[in-house]
Amino acid sequence: MGWQYSDKTKKLFMDAVQGAPGTHLGEIPSPDGLGEHGSIACGDAIKFTFKVDKHASDPLKDVIVLAKYLTFGCTSAIASSEALCSIIEQKRLSPVDALKITNQDIVDFLGGLPEQKIHCSVMGAEALEAAVIDWAQKRGVDLRSLGINIGTHEEIDEGRLVCQCFSLTDVYLKRKIKELNLQTLDAITHSLKAGGACQACKYKPGGLQDILNEVWGSTNANNNKTTKEESMSHHPDHKHSTDNSEEKVEASPYQLGKKVENVIAEKIRPLLQRDGGDIEVVDIKDYIIYCQLQGACSGCMGAQMTLKMMVERILKEDIDQRIKVISV
Amino acid sequence: MKKIYLDNNATTPIASEVFEAMSPFLKEEFYNPSSSYKFADIPAKTIAHSRDIVCRFLGNVSPKEVLFTSGATESNNAAIFGAIKANPSRRHIITTTIEHPAVLEVCKEAKRMGLEVTFLPVDSNGEISTRAFVQALRPKETLLVSIMHANNETGVIYPVETFARLTKETDAEILFHSDATQSIGKLPINLNENFINVDMLSMSAHKVHGPKGTGVLFIRKGSCWRPYLIGGHQEQGRRAGTENVAGITGLGRALELVWEHQAGPTLGKIRRLRDKLENALIEKVPFIKINGSNENRLPNTLNISCHFIEGEGILYQLDTHGISASSGSACTSGSLEPSHVLRAMNVPFTAIHGSVRFSLGRYNSEEDINYVIKVFPEIISNLRKISPYWNQEKNCPRDEQLIATKL
Repeated sequence: MGWQYSDKTKKLFMDAVQGAPGTHLGEIPSPDGLGEHGSIACGDAIKFTFKVDKHASDPLKDVIVLAKYLTFGCTSAIASSEALCSIIEQKRLSPVDALKITNQDIVDFLGGLPEQKIHCSVMGAEALEAAVIDWAQKRGVDLRSLGINIGTHEEIDEGRLVCQCFSLTDVYLKRKIKELNLQTLDAITHSLKAGGACQACKYKPGGLQDILNEVWGSTNANNNKTTKEESMSHHPDHKHSTDNSEEKVEASPYQLGKKVENVIAEKIRPLLQRDGGDIEVVDIKDYIIYCQLQGACSGCMGAQMTLKMMVERILKEDIDQRIKVISV
Repeated sequence: MKKIYLDNNATTPIASEVFEAMSPFLKEEFYNPSSSYKFADIPAKTIAHSRDIVCRFLGNVSPKEVLFTSGATESNNAAIFGAIKANPSRRHIITTTIEHPAVLEVCKEAKRMGLEVTFLPVDSNGEISTRAFVQALRPKETLLVSIMHANNETGVIYPVETFARLTKETDAEILFHSDATQSIGKLPINLNENFINVDMLSMSAHKVHGPKGTGVLFIRKGSCWRPYLIGGHQEQGRRAGTENVAGITGLGRALELVWEHQAGPTLGKIRRLRDKLENALIEKVPFIKINGSNENRLPNTLNISCHFIEGEGILYQLDTHGISASSGSACTSGSLEPSHVLRAMNVPFTAIHGSVRFSLGRYNSEEDINYVIKVFPEIISNLRKISPYWNQEKNCPRDEQLIATKL
């Protein structure tokens, strides 16, 4: 597949990793604004800080003069962080004006991003927003009274969790779907990562498709695939079928297990222990007894022989001729 | 620029001998091997010749037990779906959580078809408990067990011999399949000796310096199995489609070369270079972890996790040095989900995203490895400088993360 990044993206990334002069790598000590987004579990995370030239009387006239980032993520996540800082510094914006920078500006600055990497630019814009909110609190600016509709980051904790993999709630998803004009499930995944991992939330009731329909009206739903995936079960229950019960009365698996245990304890184990060995029953199904020889017996060349000639013979004679012993 | 290819578990460079053997069949010897005129004899004979090589390679099996396919993915699909079709009264399959998608997804499809599937978990070394395996077996109910011989991501080797024996001793009618794509040429496989209890085996040519698009499905005589690709009479009606004559020729030649190299020092050299790389990286780069058990691992595979950074940035920088490798990180997977193998092994997220797989091959040299050892530590420290989880001043992880990841 190769690298589908623009030259600008590649350059910003390489400049950053090589610490070229003029890059924005780092963290500002006691910053005027600090915003974080993402987590290490999700595969990318950014810590974004900025410093302002404080206006003597009006905080709204503060100007961002320095921006820095630390980013855990792929090539495009690091390039997006670099782009965000460059855009802000070049424009000499007030924090409130900086809010107008969208993820699209970051994408444009980079000369485009592969669509499955759009979420990297969204992460940058989210971190910026969080940092501006932080700045507003520190400077006593009430963003809401300025008519700025900021989805507070408390949204992440509010609302109903829809995408478990990336911890995204319905409140957050609805706002972002509108803001970023996301029309399809793929667009949601590319921009917000939601539904990108286990995919379980895509089509379940109250899931991404339902949210998409709610936001845009169901006529807009152009993605009506059937549920793709079932979750794997790591712990299948072992239903040993009891419905093929034969005519004559059989020992139940429990009874059989008990008998085997008794015979081993009374007759077999003492014989093995005489030679410094022991035996463990790993499992019993039907009349198959899975055994493991232990101690001195485990490495013995004749272990297989012992199991067949001694253990199996005794169990057959004492309990049932159908018994078969398998060495684990 | 240098060209250092360390992604041999993905595919291998085609050997020039293989290319030479194939090329007539892409040009003048184009005839359909099924045709009756004498010109068609040459392609028909080369297929028979390749089949003989495969038979000897797998331990003197019968030519009727060897089907040529379009690769290991088809072989796996054919093995599993063919077994399901032929055994309608049995509805239970056992596989593992770390299979290649060509088995894992097919088993999930079987589950959607209404079968019950047990996906055996692995421990943090990537190993499967024999006890859990035994407990999953169900006499008279289980129809198929499919367990890979060696894992493509970590190189962990599974005791197929033991699993197959336990399966057959429990119930001889349970079919045992193994995907041996990664182990061919690296581990001993003999269907009449150590793999005597294996009924079906998948392999492909392009992992052993053969061409892409050619593979083999071994099916033991007498196995309860139905054809998967239906149509023409080829392969005795068990795998329809005009034979990929050039590909099959290349597969045969590639296996002959495997013999030559098995007899020589190649495998030992690969292991020595892998160990050298592994030891040097452990020594030079702090906070890395090897994924996969030490003893039971393919001699060519090294999967390492570099904590607190993301694998794609590692691969990109390696690429700028001309080094080809791969990663289990989400950003390189095509989806947003990191490696299912490393997740099954409970590798912490911080480490999965920063995983890199180097897989060596026949044509790697000491200089290749020395060059990787030279550039890799800087690539990692470059990215850690950027990472919010790294303490740039003290050049170590930030404490809370250390605790969170239980390093």
